[in-house]
Amino acid sequence: MSPEFLYFVETVLNGLMAGVMYSLVALGFVLIFKASGIFNFAQGVMALFAALTLVGLQTGQVPFSHLINAIFGTEIHHFGWTLPAFFAVLITLAIMVLFAYLFEAIVLKHLVNQEPIILFMATIGLAYFLEGFGDLMWGSDVKILDVGIPSGGSFWWEEVTRTWASEGSDYFGMYIDKLDVVAALVAVVLVIALTFFSKYTKMGRALRAVADDHQAAQSVGISLRTIWVLVWSISGFVALVAGIMWGAKSGVQFSLSLIALKALPVLILGGFTSIPGAIVGGLIIGVGEKLAELYVGPLVGGAIENWFAYVVALMFLLFRPQGLFGEKIIERV
Amino acid sequence: MSIHMPLNEHRAIEDFQLSAHDDHLEPGDIILDLENVSLAFGGVKAINDISFNIKKGEVRAIIGPNGAGKTSMLNVINGFYHPQQGTITYRGEKRTAMQSTEAAKQGISRTFQNIALFKGMSTLDNIMTGRITLQNKNLFLQALWHGPAAKEDIEHRLVVEKIIDFLEIQHIRKTPVGRLPYGLQKRVELGRALAAEPALLLLDEPMAGMNLEEKEDMSRFILDVNSQFGTTIALIEHDMGVVMDISDRVVVLDYGRKIGDGSPEEVSNNQAVIDAYLGVSHD
Repeated sequence: MSPEFLYFVETVLNGLMAGVMYSLVALGFVLIFKASGIFNFAQGVMALFAALTLVGLQTGQVPFSHLINAIFGTEIHHFGWTLPAFFAVLITLAIMVLFAYLFEAIVLKHLVNQEPIILFMATIGLAYFLEGFGDLMWGSDVKILDVGIPSGGSFWWEEVTRTWASEGSDYFGMYIDKLDVVAALVAVVLVIALTFFSKYTKMGRALRAVADDHQAAQSVGISLRTIWVLVWSISGFVALVAGIMWGAKSGVQFSLSLIALKALPVLILGGFTSIPGAIVGGLIIGVGEKLAELYVGPLVGGAIENWFAYVVALMFLLFRPQGLFGEKIIERV
Repeated sequence: MSIHMPLNEHRAIEDFQLSAHDDHLEPGDIILDLENVSLAFGGVKAINDISFNIKKGEVRAIIGPNGAGKTSMLNVINGFYHPQQGTITYRGEKRTAMQSTEAAKQGISRTFQNIALFKGMSTLDNIMTGRITLQNKNLFLQALWHGPAAKEDIEHRLVVEKIIDFLEIQHIRKTPVGRLPYGLQKRVELGRALAAEPALLLLDEPMAGMNLEEKEDMSRFILDVNSQFGTTIALIEHDMGVVMDISDRVVVLDYGRKIGDGSPEEVSNNQAVIDAYLGVSHD
């Protein structure tokens, strides 16, 4: 095989896996949007907050240590113990569920039957609150997240692919990050689990029912409040998964909340209401921007990766606003 | 998750009962009593000082011209609206601002005037949602540990299959309801309401927009539900022929007031009712 072709394959593979990372964030948006019609601006910050909490628990950081030290003049930062990754993940999950419960009880409960724009504004407020709260609780320094996921390029794969290149070429083999492979597997498991949950369990049915018709759902005895808590818990869980993956890849830092912006074009492509759409949309964006960078980049001086996704999203808004898998909105006149 | 059902287990639907919400009331006892109920939206009085009752085991019709307050009445009964004045007594207990989910748990189910089904879900799943209040409440546990919940699901599924047989909609079990014709959607909605094994079934224009044949089918189902399961039914209907045929007692509303109450014969001979329907001017 020619090195050019192998470069192409490598780019596509890496694009697919970058896309999976976008999909992980987009999934959280879709879950909440489907069930309640709320576009959750805070999804990215939720991922950041989950990752911060996870690292903090794992490394035995004292929450609010800066605040405590400032008030009492103490110098405490660490408890002096570390927690196994598994327990830290479980506790973080419990915190995300508690967060969902509190958000419902303190905010959403009072906004029932309000316009979607009001709820959207509430999630913007939530985003800024959570960002500040996370900063106060765990500090704003960049943290290293290590829950035992393998990372770095796979030498084995590099060796295997080097032999594919034609004799005498200077091809060094494909670079694939093991972390990306793990992320892809996690995404697959996550989607299967979510699909199973929504298809075959009573709560899943209740969730789909609420997504279809609020009033009818109430009339058969489904409590909207329970469903909100459940949905926000699930998307808190998805945020945790996304936070772990992104945190392990690039460190836990506050710019992590901006990955939410990358999820936007994915959602526009896939449709706001479709779980498969979030996956396919992510893959298309991932592959698209990598290929564009490789082939079109040199012609225009590079850095296409940064804006390519948004241009694609713009095209979709013009020609297929409901996305690839979204529900078409037909309005009667 | 399909369930194979051997023929011998598939008992005849004749001895099939829906009695989850059985109570101590005897047929003829008052199951729901409304006293001086008033409901206003801002300055608009939708319901004005109305009193009537529903007795266990009867088919009670609520009729009246458009805008008379019939649907508001149903919404009050099932807890979507909370009246500003008056008392509602359900099974001997006085009710204060009750949520509709609460009403569902106490055995009040309903259908809607403009079908409110879960359009993306199959007929089977739609009717299964009707059983949500009868399933155990361990929501989060169920998400984590599927085994016992799946077993419970199968038991509920058996009841739902019988309801499907009862309503003769076996052929559309797996069809997403959004694709079904209107008449069948109405029937699925009745199925979902029945799945909750209601003590009081509220039907909001169950025959609106149907042709003669569909109306006859629906009338038959309503009468069968009433006689076979002993379910108390309150229904809103515009087709006077149907109302006179299937209901035991009729209450007539006009402009949010009650203008007649009694047997179909009494009501159809009531001058105020005749005026309301013929459009005699109000002054």
